[in-house]
Amino acid sequence: MDEQPGLSDQYRMASPWPLFVALGLALSEVGIFMGLFPVAVGGLLLLGGSVSGILRESGYVARPWRTFAQLGGFFALLGVIVVGTQVDLVTAIGTDPLALMGTLLGVVERPSNYAVLGRGMAVVVAGLMMLAAGGTGSLMARSTPQP
Amino acid sequence: MAGEQLALTVLMGLLLVLVAAVLTRLEDWRSYTPLAGGAGAAGEVGHAHEEKPGGITRWLTTVDHKDIGMLYGTYAIIAFAVGGIMAFLIRLQLISPDGAIIGNQFYNAILTSHGITMLFLFGTPIIAAFANYFVPLLIGADDMAFPRINAIAFWLLPPGALLIWGGFFTAPLGIGIDAAQTSWTMYTPLSVEQANPGVDLMLLGLHLTGVSATMGAINFIATIFTERGDDVTWANLDIFSWTILTQSALILFAFPLLGSAIVMLLLDRNLATTFYAVEGGGSMLWQHLFWFFGHPEVYILVLPPMGIVSLVIPKFSGRKLFGFKFIVYSTLAIGVLSFGVWAHHMFTTGMDPRLRASFMAVSIAIAIPSAVKTFNWITTMWNGRLRLTTPMLFCIGFVSNFIIGGVTGVFLASVPIDQILHDTYYVVGHFHYIVMGAIGFAAFAGLYYWFPIFTGKMYQRTLAKWHFWLSMIGTNLTFFAMLALGYLGMPRRYATYAFDGAIAPLAQITLYHQLASVGAVILLVGQLIFVWNFVNSWLEGPATASADPWNLKETDQFTKEFDWYERKLETAIADGGDDDDTLVADGGESVDE
Ligand code: HEM
Ligand SMILES: [Cu+2]
Repeated sequence: MDEQPGLSDQYRMASPWPLFVALGLALSEVGIFMGLFPVAVGGLLLLGGSVSGILRESGYVARPWRTFAQLGGFFALLGVIVVGTQVDLVTAIGTDPLALMGTLLGVVERPSNYAVLGRGMAVVVAGLMMLAAGGTGSLMARSTPQP
Repeated sequence: MAGEQLALTVLMGLLLVLVAAVLTRLEDWRSYTPLAGGAGAAGEVGHAHEEKPGGITRWLTTVDHKDIGMLYGTYAIIAFAVGGIMAFLIRLQLISPDGAIIGNQFYNAILTSHGITMLFLFGTPIIAAFANYFVPLLIGADDMAFPRINAIAFWLLPPGALLIWGGFFTAPLGIGIDAAQTSWTMYTPLSVEQANPGVDLMLLGLHLTGVSATMGAINFIATIFTERGDDVTWANLDIFSWTILTQSALILFAFPLLGSAIVMLLLDRNLATTFYAVEGGGSMLWQHLFWFFGHPEVYILVLPPMGIVSLVIPKFSGRKLFGFKFIVYSTLAIGVLSFGVWAHHMFTTGMDPRLRASFMAVSIAIAIPSAVKTFNWITTMWNGRLRLTTPMLFCIGFVSNFIIGGVTGVFLASVPIDQILHDTYYVVGHFHYIVMGAIGFAAFAGLYYWFPIFTGKMYQRTLAKWHFWLSMIGTNLTFFAMLALGYLGMPRRYATYAFDGAIAPLAQITLYHQLASVGAVILLVGQLIFVWNFVNSWLEGPATASADPWNLKETDQFTKEFDWYERKLETAIADGGDDDDTLVADGGESVDE
């Protein structure tokens, strides 16, 4: 018998991740460009999470939490660069780090008052959340070995 | 403000929790699913549907190229209906010089949205539908090279459509987000100055569809290069796959550029950059970037339909495609040349006349490979044993309309003529002969030709013929009237046209507008018949018993996708009528190889 009609049938032909990768990308774009802080953060989390998931599923990475954290680190760095275009971070950290913290927290509180800064902070916040969650996740995964 | 912020935060949080919950459930389901070749009751292992979840979940999670093709197709046909209704409203409006039914703002909005919907939400996806379903079958591949990326590319489209149409949903809410009125070309400075956030939504939606198209293109290139079956070489690669390959290459160069141009526009709009401001790149920058994408885009849209036509015409002419090689060469030539003609959209912007002349030369040169194809189609039919089935009728309609569309294009490519006809209805007539009369017709040809394969049914032939004739007459009435309107000097993109009789002969213009609208009614009736026939035959038609509904074996043109269909029918019978699957050996390796 010819194998063609069913050849693709033995591949796993379903994956829950693509839908969410797309949704995550869409939400992050809308959130960042329209300046909607929570949407940007949520979208990036969803994007990072589903990218880690899909990479694990297709066997490109073994430890999805670590990937999640790495993506988080990448986002955080990207966000810091954007923030750095608006605030002179080096000087601010050197002279008055507390005031800098205050400013940045103020941005998170009212992101719509700041154009570029608000968007940069959204990316930073999402990145830090992913770093934290990914780090915790990897630690927990290591302490409870998977079968 | 803070309250809104909080509400949004809670909403996003809930969404993420919901997603996590859904994913846990799905992952659960998956861990219980026996993998092919794994443990399980002997008779069960290896059945496709064991791998696919049921109901709606199947469609939301599928990474099978055929399913994704169906999703693209459904999406495209819905978009075609939406864009079609917008077009119909436009034509109703223009029945009388003062505008018959809608206000100017709304007219601008649907004009913009009609163009974008038809090009990005119907045109590109309907081609992706055919390509996804049939390219792997035609080249003997198991699936696309990257099945998951394939699914991601599709799922970017629904959010894209929602964003593009978003302004229409939010306008009635009175929150200051209205549908964009930029026209599909989004020329600056107009598109920078319109403060309406609906424009941003539309741009974001366009960006997503661009990302989607690019992902799809990479996937097709990888698939055609690496996944061909052992017996499929470059020498015998079918014509449709050739056009998809070329199209994908064009997409790869054109769409990322559009994406970047859109991002710059978004930044200009929201973050006070000056890419397109007079003190920055100037508004000509947008035109150059847009048309450097925009002209290849028209070939992105027309090459695969030409592939379908080249594939179908020989089947119903009882002979091989005349000059196969030359059709492939002309496809490649068009692909290359199409990047060298973009400024023919800008002849009246006051550019350097020497540049203008060179763009004119290349634009006229591109007519040569197009003509090569046209002559090859005609020669294929010449003295052939023609069978005027519906797919064949649509192909012949394609050739006829493409000739009118192409010849009017060559006229427009000539600078002195364009300076008179630019921004008149002549241009609208020109490209509609191609986008509706050719691309639309090829899409119908493909849908009818492969209908038995993807539905297992046959459509109702008489209704299909009605669909063809109404479409053919409607298209020619509507768009020929537009060519005439252009000669009379009617400018495009106007919501009303009650101008001074000294400028243009108002009575004649009104008459031609009305003729165009009558054509639109005929078209609409035809498409209603199409939808009814399509849905009704799919749901209630009798199952096709034969794997060769077109008698292709007789002329030795039974191609790979019908081969596949035949084996599917046979295995289905052997399996006891089970629909979509077959037993495979453990690991799926072919036993006799
Ligand atoms: C035979 C080759 C062709 C030539 C020489 C040609 C030439 C032209 C020229 C010179 C224009 C600009 C008219 C103006 O705005 O003043 C134009 C517009 C246009 N053409 Fe073609 N064309 C050809 C084929 C096509 C094809 C195959 C398509 C579609 C798939 C197409 C779609 C369009 C569109 C959409 C526009 C209008 C863009 C706009 O201003 O909104 N053309 N064409
Ligand atoms: Cu062009």
